[in-house]
Amino acid sequence: MKHFFLASILAGAMALPAYAADYTIIAPANPGGGWDQTARSLQTVLQQEGISGNVQVQNVPGAGGTIGLAQFASQQKGNPNALIVGGYVMVGAILTNKSPVTLKDVTPIARLTGEFEAIVVPAASEIKTMADLVAALKKDPGAVSWAGGSAGGTDHIAVGLIAKAAGVDPTKINYIAYSGGGEALAAILGSQVTAGISGYGEFEAQVKAGTLRLIAVSSGERLAGIDAPTLKESGLDVVVENWRMVAAAPGLTDEQKAAVSADVEKLAKSAGWQEVLKTKGWQDSYLSGDAFAAQLDKDVAATEGVLKDIGLVK
Amino acid sequence: MTKGLNPSTTTRRPDRAALFIAAVLAAIAGLIFWDVSRLSGAAGYSQVGPTTVPYAIACCLAGLAVWTVFAAFRNDFPEREHQEISPVIWIVAGLAAQMLLLNVAGFSIATGILFALTARGFGKRKLWFSLPVGIALCFAVWVIFAKLLQLSLPAGPLEHLFF
Amino acid sequence: MATFEFLLQGLWVAAQPMNLLYALIGVTLGTAVGVLPGIGPALTVALLLPVTYQLDPAGSLIMFAGIYYGGMYGGSTTSILLNTPGESASIVTALEGNKMARAGRGGPALATAAIGSFVAGLIATLGLAFIAPYIVKLALVFGPREYFALMVLAFVTVSSAFGDSTLRGLTALFVGLALSVVGIDQLTGQARLSFGVPELLDGIEVTTLAVAMFAIGETLFIAAQGEKGPDKVEAVRGSIWMSKLDWARSWKPWLRGTFIGFPIGAMPAGGAEIGTFLSYAAEKRLAKHPEEFGHGAIEGVAGPEAANNASAAGTLVPLLTLGLPTTATAAIMLAGFQQYGLQPGPLLFATNPQLVWGLIASLLIANFMLLVLNLPLIGLWVKLLTIPKPWLYAGILMFATLGTIGANPSVYELGMLLAFGLLGYAMRVFGYPIAPVVVGLILGPLAEQQLRRALAISQGDVSVLFTSPIAAVLLVIAAAALIIPLILRARGRGEVLAQLAANED
Repeated sequence: MKHFFLASILAGAMALPAYAADYTIIAPANPGGGWDQTARSLQTVLQQEGISGNVQVQNVPGAGGTIGLAQFASQQKGNPNALIVGGYVMVGAILTNKSPVTLKDVTPIARLTGEFEAIVVPAASEIKTMADLVAALKKDPGAVSWAGGSAGGTDHIAVGLIAKAAGVDPTKINYIAYSGGGEALAAILGSQVTAGISGYGEFEAQVKAGTLRLIAVSSGERLAGIDAPTLKESGLDVVVENWRMVAAAPGLTDEQKAAVSADVEKLAKSAGWQEVLKTKGWQDSYLSGDAFAAQLDKDVAATEGVLKDIGLVK
Repeated sequence: MTKGLNPSTTTRRPDRAALFIAAVLAAIAGLIFWDVSRLSGAAGYSQVGPTTVPYAIACCLAGLAVWTVFAAFRNDFPEREHQEISPVIWIVAGLAAQMLLLNVAGFSIATGILFALTARGFGKRKLWFSLPVGIALCFAVWVIFAKLLQLSLPAGPLEHLFF
Repeated sequence: MATFEFLLQGLWVAAQPMNLLYALIGVTLGTAVGVLPGIGPALTVALLLPVTYQLDPAGSLIMFAGIYYGGMYGGSTTSILLNTPGESASIVTALEGNKMARAGRGGPALATAAIGSFVAGLIATLGLAFIAPYIVKLALVFGPREYFALMVLAFVTVSSAFGDSTLRGLTALFVGLALSVVGIDQLTGQARLSFGVPELLDGIEVTTLAVAMFAIGETLFIAAQGEKGPDKVEAVRGSIWMSKLDWARSWKPWLRGTFIGFPIGAMPAGGAEIGTFLSYAAEKRLAKHPEEFGHGAIEGVAGPEAANNASAAGTLVPLLTLGLPTTATAAIMLAGFQQYGLQPGPLLFATNPQLVWGLIASLLIANFMLLVLNLPLIGLWVKLLTIPKPWLYAGILMFATLGTIGANPSVYELGMLLAFGLLGYAMRVFGYPIAPVVVGLILGPLAEQQLRRALAISQGDVSVLFTSPIAAVLLVIAAAALIIPLILRARGRGEVLAQLAANED
């Protein structure tokens, strides 16, 4: 027994430098949503590529990720093994929720993926095209209910922009916030709402199965393999990209930050990750270091403008 | 609700503890009113906004406080058994010690202290015996859950000694 | 029929001796971890999932199924014997189960829970196999207004868990509702009752509240009885096995619990605990001796336990057919499925039949193994009560805090545990029931959000709440449950009820 203990201590000591960190990834949303999928894909690839021995995903849902962000910033301070998934939604949510914890309170590592918004209606809906939806919106904005992610998130912003582009008062939209992708999807499938808006990946399986009709995507150009017009083609000058990033805990030393960045870079360049991007339909938008920091600042400033414009932030 | 309980002790003195409970309920109601009044009631298309439900709950709590006052004057509360206070203090001390020591001393020592103090609360006075037993037991639990099952339990000096 | 062949093939694979052994190991591990107070099924599955990765796909799938059912069932044992439910779905089991255990009838209580779980698991798993696509259609019909009506029904019916005083029951419920408002409002993103404390933005964790109020509150209360409390519990009085009468009183609640739990578990916003609440209320109303409720009625264990396990299978319906994980446990299982190359979604049954039927066969075998393991163990579990109190309760507190620390290792969370533990103790001293507080915390936010969503969708038209047929039926049942007892009392038949009320003190 003694030998066993000794051996395991030795083995542990020797293995320590060789093993990369065991990461805990916080997905600040309910299971099933985009951040959850990103976190779980990270988990799979980090383990499968041998970048990390053991990765755990923890869901901390609510309020556009600010609940998870606040908990992450306070509880993981100085922990180099904790990561949080976040993204554009968080930028808006921090503003609308007047969150005391912002992205300045964590250590952004890299932007990983981009995903365009998809607008869907139930298969049985009378609405066949984006033009039909815009017509209904113009007739009575309140009668068109939209199911999407939390208040002030990308989905909400995109609906506001669509309304504005269609010449409808953006403050009049009837937006129903759900805390995660799963519950919103159930509401759309059950025809509880007029339309649904979220990242394409969350609707893909249902669109392919024919239970949802995809009427538009929010990209600048048509997406390969996706049979739907862009909003621009439908006469609405709106392009929204929902990017997702990974951030580390606050209070890390430069070395710790470099180590995490190196792990994330290894991940982003791996064949396994490229495969995930392909199967999930996410665009690779890997951007790290100072370039990402600068882009982040620009996005925060731009988002504040948009939110004020459509009356979500006063 | 109309039955008079405990007939032998029916002095018409109001139940002080019940009056205290009523005061606490009223205070919670007041707290909700005060906090929620600062929110903007903007609700979009629903006339039930973020403030409606808290207000309703606060009103009901205020009503329950009044009801509790009546119950206190009618001595409607069941007779309370005598409570020994010292065991409660021992166990609360154990929980507080665990809470404060967890991140410093690690899971085994902090929870071992909780174990020993809880046993003390139930009358096991021999702390020199129950404390080591508790720490050893908690260490075994730590090994099983943190090492074998990968649960994140804080490690302290004792755990670092072995792992 | 192809589906039958797939199922038979799956069963044949699962019934190989080696796979039966894996099922037994899975059930044993799941029960052993799930039985610890404070560690619910979500944590159990999360902890044990990696164990299954070592095996071949068939073996790991079957062990996983064993862990899942074992973890779901494990919680009821400590609820019944020690009144310390570690998760919200076994709270109702504790209400009657613990009263039975205190009267020396822990054996029959555990047996009816085990057999009820088996019956419910069997029927619900078969339901998953053959009617999942229809059930999921029903679940999708449930929109905000239907959920709101369901919550109203749940609120009205759980009053049967309120104990003997309306005032104290309502007070406990509203304390829970007040706690449920704490945190960020889902629909507008505004912070309520958080007083600038970031930790409060998350709201109050149901598991933390349940463990604190039950496990810690109970420990403090027992300790405060001092020496004069009953020195030791008589572990077994009469037979350890279920009597003929117990069987006669149990089989209907098992079936009813299954039929309540399965569809509610399948609903995207349902959840296991709501099924147990409704089942308990139904049993109390249908029982021949409703006066026994609150004193250890076996129906009150049999029904909710069946509902709990049926909803465990029900949860798999949206998960497999839509890829929707509706509970924390389901979310962890989703990660597990992906490990086996199973990608839940609308096309799963068509594209991946072998794995799906393999899983369903595994669930059936695991369910059977659960019974094989737990019936003989009842005698051993009941002996838990003979452990000297100091060591027993010291152990309970150790595991109760372990679960909380493992889920969220923060000093703040332990502080909540202590504060709510004291609240639970104080409420016991003054004769307040505990369950309504947790019920309020669970149902409050669901009811509020769904009401507000329904009204937003209808642009403020209140009438929509009553015009959907399902919502209307649910509301009528709720109204009947509220009004009929009042009418009965008013028409003089109330004597019976008054008699019952008198007996309850």
